[in-house]
Amino acid sequence: MRAARIQPTGVERSFEDHEIIVTKTDLKGIITYANDVFLRLSAFGEEEVIGKPHNIIRHPDMPRAVFKLLWDTLGQGEEIFAYVVNMAGDGAAYWVLAHVTPSRDASGRVIGYHSSRRRPDRPAVDAVKRLYARLREEERRNDLNASWQLLQDELAGRGQTYEEFVWDLTLGATR
Amino acid sequence: MSDDILSIIEKVCTRVAAGDFENRVPKLGDDPQAEATRQAINRVLDVTDAFVRESGAALTAAADGRFHRQFLPRGMRGAYAHSAVTINRAADAMRVKVEEIEHAKAARFDLAGELESAVQSVSEQLATAATEMGATANGLSQFARDAVADAERGLGSVGALRDSSDQIRKAVSLITQIASQTRLLALNATIEAARAGEAGRGFSVVANEVKTLATETASSSESITNQVSTVQDSAKGAIRVLESVTESIRQMSELVDGIASAVDGNREPGQPGLSQLAEVLRAEVTRFVAKVRAD
Repeated sequence: MRAARIQPTGVERSFEDHEIIVTKTDLKGIITYANDVFLRLSAFGEEEVIGKPHNIIRHPDMPRAVFKLLWDTLGQGEEIFAYVVNMAGDGAAYWVLAHVTPSRDASGRVIGYHSSRRRPDRPAVDAVKRLYARLREEERRNDLNASWQLLQDELAGRGQTYEEFVWDLTLGATR
Repeated sequence: MSDDILSIIEKVCTRVAAGDFENRVPKLGDDPQAEATRQAINRVLDVTDAFVRESGAALTAAADGRFHRQFLPRGMRGAYAHSAVTINRAADAMRVKVEEIEHAKAARFDLAGELESAVQSVSEQLATAATEMGATANGLSQFARDAVADAERGLGSVGALRDSSDQIRKAVSLITQIASQTRLLALNATIEAARAGEAGRGFSVVANEVKTLATETASSSESITNQVSTVQDSAKGAIRVLESVTESIRQMSELVDGIASAVDGNREPGQPGLSQLAEVLRAEVTRFVAKVRAD
C-alpha cells in the first residue's frame, strides 16, 4: 500500500482517442472491475483497486456538488455524462469524459454501476476547470449546499441542464 | 494454457454471450500469455459493453427528442465506430423529421389562428348586419301598417265624399222639381196678369222675372248634377287606386316579415336566424381550432 494521503503533483497525463477507461462498481461504489487503461492511467495495481471505494482516485479539485449530481442522477436510474478530473496513485491528474450508467440484471434491477471514460478535448476541459474551480471555492468558503446552489444558478444562467452543458462542450469541441 | 484457465474463459464468454455484461475474465495467474489473452478478451467485452450501453441510450434519447445526446464515436474503432456514426446519422434524420413536424404543426397553428380571427370578424359583422336588418325590417313593418291604416282612412274619406255627392244629387233633384213648379206658377201668373189688363202689367213683369229665374235655376241644377257625377266617377277611381295601393303594401309587409323572420329566426324552432347562425359558426370554429391546438 501507498501513503494514506496522496498529494497532487501537478503532473497531468492523458490517454489515446481510441482507448476507453472502464470500471465497474457495486451499488456502494466498491470497484469490482478495472480495465488495463484504468490501471495504466491511475498508476495502481489491480489488486490495489479491486474491492476499494471508487473515490480512491478522487482529485481534490473535483467539486462535491458534481458528485452529488452524479449520484442523484444514477439514483434515478439515469445515465450521466460528466467531466471529471481523477488523481492517480502517484499524484498525477487525468481528465476524463465519464459516461456512467446503472448496470441491471435480467429483471431490470440495478445491481451496480459501469463507467466508460473517453479522452476529453482540451477546450472543454479548460471551460470545465473554470466552473469547477468556482464550485470548489464555494465549498471551501461555505458548504456543499452553497456550491450546489451555485451550480444550479450557473446552469440556469446558461439556460442548460448539466447534461446539455456537457454535450455543448463535447460537441462544440469535437466538431 | 491450462484447462482450468480455458474453463474460466469459457464460462465468462458463455455468460456474456447470454447478455450478462457484468462478467470479465479474472486474473489467471502469472503466465504472461494468459494475462495478455485475458486483457484482450476483457477489451472485447469492454468495448462491446460500452457499445451496447451507448447505442441503447443514444436511441432512447433520440426517441425522447433529446437529440443533443449522441453516440460519441471516440473510444470506438472499426465497425464499432462505423455503427456509432450510423446511429448518429439515424438520430439526426429523426431530428430533421421532428423539426419538420414541429414546423408543420406551427403552420397549422397559424392557419387555425387566422381562421379563428377571420370567422370571429365575419360573425361579428354578420351579427351587426343582422341587428341592423332586423331593426330596418321592424321599421318597414311599422311603416307598412301605418300606410295601410292611412289608406284605409283615405278610403273612408272618399266613401264619405261619395255619400255626400248622393245627398247633393237628391237636393239638386228637389231644387229642379221646385224650379219646374215655380216656372208653371210664373206662367199662370203671367196669364192672370194679362187678364187683369193695365192693372196687372206690373205683376206680369214680376211673373216674367220669376219664370226666367226658375229657368236659370233648372239650368244650374243640371250643371251641378253633371259635376256631382264627375265627382262620383273620380271617387270610384280613387277607391280603386287606394284599394290597389293597400293590397300592394300588405304584400310588401309580408315580404318584410319574411326578412325579419330570416334575420331573427324566432318564427319556427329549428330555423335559427342570422345572428344565431353566426354564433353557431363561431362556436364550431372555436371548437375546431381548440382541437387543432390540442393535437
